[in-house]
Amino acid sequence: MLPSMLESQNPPVPRRDSVARADSIARADSIALVRELEKMQARPETGAPSEGSTPTGTGGPTNPRLIPDISVIGDVIADLSPKGSTQESGRRFDIREVELALSSAVDPYFRADFILGLSDLEGIAIEEAYITATALPWQSAARIGRFHLPFGKQNTTHRAELQTIEYPHAIQSFLGPEGSKGTGVWFSKILAPFGFYQELLLTAVDHFGESEEEGTGLLASEPANKKVNGLGYSARLRNYLDLSESANLELSVSAATGRRAQPVDCDPAVDCVRSDEVNAVNARQSLIGADLTFRWRPLQQGLYKSFILQAELMRQVNERSSALGRASLPGEYAGPRRNANGAYVFSRYQLTRRTHLGARYDWVQDPFADAELAEGSFKAASGYLQFFPSEFSKLVLGLERQFAAGDRKALNRLILQSTFAVGPHRPHPF
Amino acid sequence: MTRAFFSSTFALIFAAGLAATSAEAQLKVVTSTPDLSAIAAEVGGNKVTTRHVSEGYQDPHFVEAKPSFVLQLRNADVWAFVGLGLEVGWMPLLLDGARNPRIRPGATGYVDVSRSVRLLDIPAGDVDRSQGDVHPLGNPHYWLHPENGRRIARMFQQKFSELDPKNAASYAANERAFETRLDAAERGWRPSLSMIAGKPVAAWHTSWRYFADYTKMNIVGFMEPKPGVPPSPAHLAGLIQTMKRTGAKIIIMEPFYSRKTADFVASKSGAKVLVLPPSVGGVRGVNDYVALMKSDIEKVAAALR
Repeated sequence: MLPSMLESQNPPVPRRDSVARADSIARADSIALVRELEKMQARPETGAPSEGSTPTGTGGPTNPRLIPDISVIGDVIADLSPKGSTQESGRRFDIREVELALSSAVDPYFRADFILGLSDLEGIAIEEAYITATALPWQSAARIGRFHLPFGKQNTTHRAELQTIEYPHAIQSFLGPEGSKGTGVWFSKILAPFGFYQELLLTAVDHFGESEEEGTGLLASEPANKKVNGLGYSARLRNYLDLSESANLELSVSAATGRRAQPVDCDPAVDCVRSDEVNAVNARQSLIGADLTFRWRPLQQGLYKSFILQAELMRQVNERSSALGRASLPGEYAGPRRNANGAYVFSRYQLTRRTHLGARYDWVQDPFADAELAEGSFKAASGYLQFFPSEFSKLVLGLERQFAAGDRKALNRLILQSTFAVGPHRPHPF
Repeated sequence: MTRAFFSSTFALIFAAGLAATSAEAQLKVVTSTPDLSAIAAEVGGNKVTTRHVSEGYQDPHFVEAKPSFVLQLRNADVWAFVGLGLEVGWMPLLLDGARNPRIRPGATGYVDVSRSVRLLDIPAGDVDRSQGDVHPLGNPHYWLHPENGRRIARMFQQKFSELDPKNAASYAANERAFETRLDAAERGWRPSLSMIAGKPVAAWHTSWRYFADYTKMNIVGFMEPKPGVPPSPAHLAGLIQTMKRTGAKIIIMEPFYSRKTADFVASKSGAKVLVLPPSVGGVRGVNDYVALMKSDIEKVAAALR
């Protein structure tokens, strides 16, 4: 309709003496045309959603000030264990952490994510801060900054978003109580040569494991990262397969290596503590692991039924030559005395739309124990009852039994956890 | 003989190559829901391939971001989604995982379908989660109104023509054919609409607001006290009273909600439960958009008769 109306306003051969008049008419007609179009647009269309409906096709931006997505997660713990608090803070009731996350596109090539952890123990800590290159070729992605080390399945999940209250003991023992993070570069490439999803993840980070600045209290005579082979490196190959519409399986392998400070015991006869308080030597530590996750969630009943079975097995390989440290300071190497294995099996079944019941079994060898002694193994069994008032809040009741071994007495733990999130909806971890 | 053999082999390889090129030239369209996929398939015809992430019998709010979907998205030319926050719990993971610059926000293949339709339930005033799983930009279940179905088809026609101009005439013809088929279907279900108009009903979720707007059925109450919030006993008691007072005869619900609660309310209010597919593929035989609307309208009319 519009082209024909416009055509009718333009005489095919304008005469010279009437040009000015024609221009004036055309202007007036244009104004009339615009008004007519405005009226037409204001009229509701026949059959269109009527009551309170609004067209959005002509709407403006939803975030005109380009404000990053900001979300906050609170993680509160009540430790009701019969023999006192088992928390690092020693408190019965504690705000374990408040996590502040900001996320936004930087430009057409990068996206930035910042996650700050606030806690009474650590103050403000940079949990993660990285930019991700989103425009790389060959279906690859790269990050620069600090990120969770892509080792195993649960280490990449933030603690507040875990399906249990704490990380499995193998992860706590080999990677740290809050998992392992690293500052460096991250690269990922999707592969699918066999028709199913495979992803290769590679990282190079400043150091492997916690550093002296992070509170280990260990200081070697030279930084572990002095040489390139002292940096932390990791590789992970994810293999994901749909077994059916409702069930899927992920079977992945990971490896990480790096040099990290290990303690040295001073010989009392020799003053081995030097003025710079060097008390450690750098030794290589490597970790290899495999993880398996089976998920079942029928699509139609997915709001009410689901099941997860997850297991991880990892082996810590420690450089432990008795010659370690002799060159740099007098004293006996007091780091890990053996290679150690650890594993857990976790399972969770959804009882109702809001309630899940889970259980976990943990087994970890103590790398500082004698290889021959069975008491070097830690074992624990735990159960969890989760209640989700909504997608944005969670209450968990956890019961854990740590079994006696050697000098270690059995310990029962009873912990309540509440997590709650505000801000834009974050994607559900998968 | 040898020459003939090589000639025919070459011709076969050439033909196969041409066929492959033709197949590769098809636009690869991936959508979040089967409804968008069904309309895209009608508009695209044999010039596009379509796939969808969620199924018609699945709650589209809660889709698992499976890596197998990443494989679908990594080669897509178009990613079309409902928008308004419906896919917010899983779409970012898939888009980040796919590493496909053609479908990232701002790219020509990133298609927020909500920008081309008319919306209901845009909240006024302050919005927060005390109001339930509220969608601040409007109710995202807009495909359940045929006028929005037409708008979606026109949007796909424009998008496909933009990305594949040489087949623009084909997309335009397919879009016209879709609207003609929908017009004819609407004439066919007019008696059913007159049966439904003004009748009181209850529904589980606000997803039926557009359907009610079109059919003029009167939703007197929802099973959910607030969007996405499971019903409480107190709320259900109030709903039963409302249904009795207004004479609501049916409770409309999607196949992915638990029927037990709806059956309870139905038994107390004298109504019956009507499980309707909210999306294409939600029940067997509902394989395209027109069939979805026809099935839902006729089932409601039959239940109210």
